[in-house]
Amino acid sequence: MPSGRKLILCLAILGGLHFVIAGAGFFSPYDPTAQNRDWPYAPPMRLHWFDAAGHFHLRPFFYPLQLQEGAFNEYRQDTTHPVALSFFVTGARYRLLGIFPLRVHLFGAGDTPIFLLGSDSYGRDLFSRMLFGGQISLLAGLLATGLALSFGLLIGSLAAYLGGWRDETLMRLAELFLALPWLYLLFAIRAFLPLAVSPLQAFLLIVILIGTVGWARPARLIRSVVLSSKERDYVRAARGFGASGSYLLRRHILPETWSVVLTQAAILVPQYVLAEVTLSFLGLGVPEPVPSWGNLLSSLQQYSVLTSYWWMYLPSLAMVPFFVGYLVLASALQERAQGPKI
Amino acid sequence: MRYIFNRLVHAFFLLVGVSFLSFLFTTMAPGNYFDEMSLNPQISPETVAALRTQYGVDRPVLVRYGRWVASIAHGDLGFSFAYGSPAAPLLWARARNTLLLTSVATILTWLIALPLGIWSAENRGRLPDIAVTSATGLLLVIPDLLLALGLLLLAVRTGWFPTGGMVSVGFETLSSIGKMRDAILHMALPVTVLVLSALPILVRHVRAAMSEVLGAGYLRAAQAHGISRRTLLYRYALPAASHPLISLFGFSVGTLLSGSLIVEVVMSWPGLGPLLLEAILARDLYVVIGGVMLSTVFLVAGNLIADLILYWVDPRIRVA
Amino acid sequence: MNEVHPILEVEALVKCYASRRGAGHSGRANAVDGVSLSIAPATTLALVGESGSGKSTLAFCVACLEKPTSGRIWWNGLEVSLLTEKDLRPNRSRVQMIFQDPASAMNPRWTASQIVAEPLVIQNQLTRRDQFEHAQLLLERVGLPASAGARRLAEFSGGQRQRIAIARALALGSKLLILDEALSALDCSVQAQIANLLLDLQESSGISLLFITHDLVMAAHLADQVAVMDRGRIVEAGTADEVIRHPEHEQTRMLLAASSGLGRVTPESRDA
Repeated sequence: MPSGRKLILCLAILGGLHFVIAGAGFFSPYDPTAQNRDWPYAPPMRLHWFDAAGHFHLRPFFYPLQLQEGAFNEYRQDTTHPVALSFFVTGARYRLLGIFPLRVHLFGAGDTPIFLLGSDSYGRDLFSRMLFGGQISLLAGLLATGLALSFGLLIGSLAAYLGGWRDETLMRLAELFLALPWLYLLFAIRAFLPLAVSPLQAFLLIVILIGTVGWARPARLIRSVVLSSKERDYVRAARGFGASGSYLLRRHILPETWSVVLTQAAILVPQYVLAEVTLSFLGLGVPEPVPSWGNLLSSLQQYSVLTSYWWMYLPSLAMVPFFVGYLVLASALQERAQGPKI
Repeated sequence: MRYIFNRLVHAFFLLVGVSFLSFLFTTMAPGNYFDEMSLNPQISPETVAALRTQYGVDRPVLVRYGRWVASIAHGDLGFSFAYGSPAAPLLWARARNTLLLTSVATILTWLIALPLGIWSAENRGRLPDIAVTSATGLLLVIPDLLLALGLLLLAVRTGWFPTGGMVSVGFETLSSIGKMRDAILHMALPVTVLVLSALPILVRHVRAAMSEVLGAGYLRAAQAHGISRRTLLYRYALPAASHPLISLFGFSVGTLLSGSLIVEVVMSWPGLGPLLLEAILARDLYVVIGGVMLSTVFLVAGNLIADLILYWVDPRIRVA
Repeated sequence: MNEVHPILEVEALVKCYASRRGAGHSGRANAVDGVSLSIAPATTLALVGESGSGKSTLAFCVACLEKPTSGRIWWNGLEVSLLTEKDLRPNRSRVQMIFQDPASAMNPRWTASQIVAEPLVIQNQLTRRDQFEHAQLLLERVGLPASAGARRLAEFSGGQRQRIAIARALALGSKLLILDEALSALDCSVQAQIANLLLDLQESSGISLLFITHDLVMAAHLADQVAVMDRGRIVEAGTADEVIRHPEHEQTRMLLAASSGLGRVTPESRDA
């Protein structure tokens, strides 16, 4: 079954990507908030496997940067002293998955700083910030999706179950939410909430905000699935055996909505990650120094950064493979849902 | 006629609903413009209290809603605390620019999407189709924020395009041709981003709608009669596929409006987007509500236009 | 019939649907218009009518899957038309229904034994293990191989699916099966097989059948009693023989002419 294989491959790749982000502490060499005032705006450093003489090195090495004389942010490569990368080094303390305190990092280079994607104005490592930023953005997207789908599931099945004027009211409300350009709606609601909040509050705020705005479309889809499955003969038959409403919902109707819910999830997660990115980019989301894919981009609003420090753009590209993964996942799930039936 | 009337009534209730929803959210919000103001030691508490009563921010939500509706009748759309003037003129000036940007982008997007989608549907499964599908797939996964910043980065580093605003400094001194050239250059980047972000979904829908129609028996029959490819595609197939596409028009307006919000901020285009952001940061309530309302009006208008075209094109609706 | 209750008794049943469109004559249409009938133990009543004659609505009302507008229904002496949905649930095992399209009457995601065991699960009868063993026995009883239990619905033919549906309907030991056009979606030869299965079951376990069909000849073949329905009313009733040989009502003659047994019993041969 090729669509099944596509699904598994896609899930494996997405799983791998999420694994790297979840283990950001291990995969990144530094603490994402650690500042290196001596190394502002260091450009990305390339890893090499072949030295100047053309010899191959199994262990990649890089050329450390040296500050140009008389400049505060211009560097040149010191090609005379290549530094080899070390693996499984002990470095900054972090908590894996927020629980297990660890100090081991995948790679590092002793006292010589290594900035794979360069550093920002405070000399913070953009590579580390990219990985940790992903934790915030992805978690926000996933939680918001969960919230929106729970609301959608609840309201959708309730509307279908109750029927009548209550159904009508709920669906009119959904139409209202769908009628707005949703980014505007997000903005409008955000406008009425406090501006200056702690990173944790901001994070929860965003999740709740997106979740509340996003219930309408899933609710409509789920309502129609529930409505059509309520009329199925096998649901009537089960009623004929004396099944209660909760049994019908649990065993027959909700399993039917499952594939819709999954497909919606695959569609919504990237949208909501992007919503977090947009809000944080505009300074309405998770504030500094906590990194997120959105606020990593916000420095690009300064003209000087655009002209001189193009690498500030790089970390945000990390979201692209995730979006590809989710897009393929959504289409694979859709294929499967339409797949062989009797 | 009844159909059009129904659509109009529907649109009207939608707008009322949205406006009331916006007001409802303001009551749930902790804090407002004057709370922030009262933190400012340079403004006396008496002044703040006086302003509060003047603007009636402490009144119940229904009262404020009523006053706001009354202010629409005056053409004010409420009052901007930050600018100290009615909100409507502020909003209109910006809305015009947003409208300019989105309408140009809408037209361009459709002009590109239609032939591209048709071409792709015609060559289903062959190289052009695969190329178009993968290109749109790529565009689909690049968010417009990244696209906008990337293009901006490119513009700054190459200097090919101006990087912000609607016109250059000293626009008035240019000749009329120079003015036009300047305006087009300034529009190029934001329009490109909007077109690229709205294009993939549109192309895919055009392709899907056309593929379905092209498989229909009467088109194969027409083909057998020896009608030219062009006539077949544009005179026979396209009108048959138009129903879902026209409905899509309303949707594309919504996408472009949402997209323009962020593009305007990034490219410093003086539209509703930057005004809205500024108003949010200043807690300038009525400007925010006004901005949301205007964008909703545009969206509803887009859907209404789609409905009208549908009515005009599709005789089945006129009968029903 | 003095001591023994009829398996099913229906008195003056009316079901009307509020018409969707306000236009039209009365705005209400009586799908079932004052029907009374009764079925004795271990007998079969066939209810014959065109599509739209209200026979399916009657079936759903009798099975308590739709609420009648008025009228009374007794299942084996218990007046179920008085019970609330909740009080009805434990009594549902008395009457079971089999639907026209077996493909939609069973959850396509489930295996055959899951499907057959479902009534037991719902009524909370037997232990989990016994439920499935019982399901296995039932599947064998309707003539399916022992391996059928683990397979899903998509792997069965139409006739096999209807057999599974019958097995499911038997699970609770019901005394009355309502078959709503249960054979009409099947091929002729399969129809005969399932009909024979039903007759066998009736003989071996004494169940009653309410057989709803548009095929008068098939009905006469299966049933002891035949009732002909037209526009919500029963227009003719009697023993199968009587109705087939001496149709009184216009509708009966039409149904007879349209019936699958056209070659066997035609109006002409009857008049002769």
